[in-house]
Amino acid sequence: MLDKPASALRLRERLLDSERLMEETGCYDGITELTLRNQDPLKFETLHTKLRAYCVSAREMARRISASPGVREVGEMVVAIYTPEGDAIALSNGIMVHVHTMSRFIKWMIKNNYEENPKIREGDIFANNDAFIGTVQVPDVMDVVPIFHEGTLVGWAGAVCHELEAGGITPGGDVCLAQERFTEGLFVCAEKIGENDEIRRDYVIRCERNLRMPIYWVLDEKAKVASCIDMRESVQHLISEIGLDYWMKVSKEFIEEGRRAQLARTRQLTVPGIYRGHTFYGHVTAGKPGFQLLGDPDWLYNIPIEMEITTDGKITMDFEGTQPWGYHSMNCTPAGMDGGMFVTLTQHMNFEGLVNDGAWMATELKLPHGTWTNPDNEMVATATSWALLLPAYGVFQRLLSRGFVARGFVEEAFVGQVNSPMIEMGGESQYGTPFGMAHFECAAAGSGALAIADGLDTAYVGWNPESDMGNIEVWEQSMPMVYIGRSIVPNSGGAGKYRGGCSFVSTWLINKTSHLRLHTSEHSSRVFDNGGMCGGYPAPTCQKHRAVRNSNIHELAAKGEPLAHAPGIAPDVSDYEKNIGGDHVVVEGPYITAPHKSGDIFSHSYNGGGGYGDVLERDPIKTAWDVENGFLTRQAADQVFGIILKDDAEGYPVADIDATIKRRAAMRKQRLAKAIPVSDWIEAERGRVEKADFAPEVKKMYASAIKLSSRFTKDFSDFWKVDAKSIFMPGAKP
Amino acid sequence: MTSYSKEVLADLAAGQLPWPQTRRIMSAYKDDDRFFKMVAVYQDRVAWKDPILLPVSDHLFICQSGDERITRCECGHSFGDYRKNWKLKAAIIVRNTEEALREIYPNSDIPDPQWMEIREFICPECGTMHEVEAAAPGYPIVHDFEPDLEGFYREWLGKPL
Repeated sequence: MLDKPASALRLRERLLDSERLMEETGCYDGITELTLRNQDPLKFETLHTKLRAYCVSAREMARRISASPGVREVGEMVVAIYTPEGDAIALSNGIMVHVHTMSRFIKWMIKNNYEENPKIREGDIFANNDAFIGTVQVPDVMDVVPIFHEGTLVGWAGAVCHELEAGGITPGGDVCLAQERFTEGLFVCAEKIGENDEIRRDYVIRCERNLRMPIYWVLDEKAKVASCIDMRESVQHLISEIGLDYWMKVSKEFIEEGRRAQLARTRQLTVPGIYRGHTFYGHVTAGKPGFQLLGDPDWLYNIPIEMEITTDGKITMDFEGTQPWGYHSMNCTPAGMDGGMFVTLTQHMNFEGLVNDGAWMATELKLPHGTWTNPDNEMVATATSWALLLPAYGVFQRLLSRGFVARGFVEEAFVGQVNSPMIEMGGESQYGTPFGMAHFECAAAGSGALAIADGLDTAYVGWNPESDMGNIEVWEQSMPMVYIGRSIVPNSGGAGKYRGGCSFVSTWLINKTSHLRLHTSEHSSRVFDNGGMCGGYPAPTCQKHRAVRNSNIHELAAKGEPLAHAPGIAPDVSDYEKNIGGDHVVVEGPYITAPHKSGDIFSHSYNGGGGYGDVLERDPIKTAWDVENGFLTRQAADQVFGIILKDDAEGYPVADIDATIKRRAAMRKQRLAKAIPVSDWIEAERGRVEKADFAPEVKKMYASAIKLSSRFTKDFSDFWKVDAKSIFMPGAKP
Repeated sequence: MTSYSKEVLADLAAGQLPWPQTRRIMSAYKDDDRFFKMVAVYQDRVAWKDPILLPVSDHLFICQSGDERITRCECGHSFGDYRKNWKLKAAIIVRNTEEALREIYPNSDIPDPQWMEIREFICPECGTMHEVEAAAPGYPIVHDFEPDLEGFYREWLGKPL
């Protein structure tokens, strides 16, 4: 059991001691008994509730200090309280992905002997946004302050805001063009940025001179510091009530209880065994302007995941077989991968009881060295790490959901989060000033379906459980564009008995600027990256951008002619082309091109979620409602779901149940007539595999996976009964 | 201790429980007797008598069939030993052309069939679509789930298998 008062050991020794105790006992900090909890459970629970209240309150206060619409409107912020060694005790709502990444930041400083130099003193403020130290990407800037009680370090308060502009090679924060670390923007590498509770003027000057829109970053720093000081004072007040020794013990018992709660939760909700799944990410960059010639253009990434749940309740996720890091911005770090695990656990398993770093300690990630999950080169760019991170943890959600379904908790099964491409911009604002920022309405995509209901429409992303697209007026106030449309994209949810949540598309008129650069990131094209489950289809891809340069929209408006407010539902000809004159542009995948100017039109769409269950079981009445409200088209209802709709007296769609039953019976027969035994398909497909008769990007994907993973090589070879190495790496040693 | 009737769970599984009630179930402490009650709900649904040991998908179950434990479709079709990948005994439709993909995505953006295909795994008897894989051409068919059935019953449920 724990028997350590506020220790006289130096921080680094305390941290190493804590890690050794965990190794030896399997329990956090060697706590084998929850003594304080057993002595007075009510006091124990009340204290944790207080800590959580401190965090929630501090975050809400900070959001009102922040100037950034990303933080203020969308809530891209989280705060947490840590032990002296850097383990999270309690956290707020918000972007919980960063709770454990901040833990890594604190531990990094401790292990790098910051206690000696630059010293850790009362009133100090430390900041970091280096993903190899502990964050996900450059725009996630974290601040921590030490908490002292009568001269003893008793914890840390930490806060993270996602900044809308990071000073990289392209404006915004998710810098799509970054192919090395040196183009990602302003790095703050575990620096002391303030003393005596005041942010240093020289640090602010550095921000002002290296960011396109420093007001957001600097005001967010103030918001974060204010929230940290608020939490610090609350904890100090609490310690004066309960005593230092009790605090030092109880704060660690909270974490051990969190670890035990996670194990118990896994045993309660899932089934032990091996779970497997995969997803893909396809990025089209060939020929696009701005990309340096560092690596091959066009990327196809496979992300296979094997998850093991052991009978003690531990979850291990193994990424073996995935792709190497590359000269692009989509690499991740172990900190980012930890963050993905933490945000998924807190949303899908730990929605009651204690949530803290204990939950993370009940899991393990196997991140093969040299892959995008764990690059063996710290110079790589991680600016758009969410591009691969989010689909990967979407798979994790589907794997967990298999466990929920098997255990009978169907109401928890969730087809998973989606990648939601972000649009970023910069240039000259409508006020005539330089600007750069990310548009954060991407924080509200369509979610995957549930096992009992359709997914959420335009209301979910994995990285922010409070997903909010923000008000149109807020974005118009900050960017030289006015909305001419924001609407549901019909059929954008994956088809299924329960469909995925639908996404939306925004259409803007570029206004009052002669120079607007537009780029998109996290934009998978050419492949599905949001899968379905139990017979549901993946969500459609989201690859086309449509723009009109030199449009005649003002003339049309003056004449009262019809405008186009969305691309429409014809796959080949958009409503813009039908209704608006000008130079029409269609771009596949990430958008990066010459600057736009006033009078141009631009449209950007977001992703929907995957479907659940067989499409032929979808409720016809619900489908009629979907068609009436623009979530599905009549064509899809008929062609995909086999649902026959007719019009009522007022012209509204209603389901023709008898006709639907007949049509579905016919579709089922067609399926059976068309399907072949899997064994026949494998036999026929083997010849293609032996000849590697695949697109160059597919061949490259297999070659790199085979190079990095003996298991992938064996699995591939065993499945097809071929020698994978000789096919994809001719000349390689067998 | 939270507990729900079999009727409530049957409605929940069928997606027919009113949303406010569903929401309360989602937010409440989980019911420890859920597994066997839900198995009973599924057992009522299937036309066959072999006892269900574990649901693995919407219409797919592991059941005890004589001395064997097999993966079985709700219609009764057997996919063989539960430890082996049931998909290998299924029927398949592969969508790897723009035309075939457009049937499912009539107006939306679709992948490049050179980069990605859809594989539909279908019960060869009743035509139920049990799973859809989206994979690059040539990617091995994934074995989704290998439950530790013995460990689950022995250590988590506290009952012999």
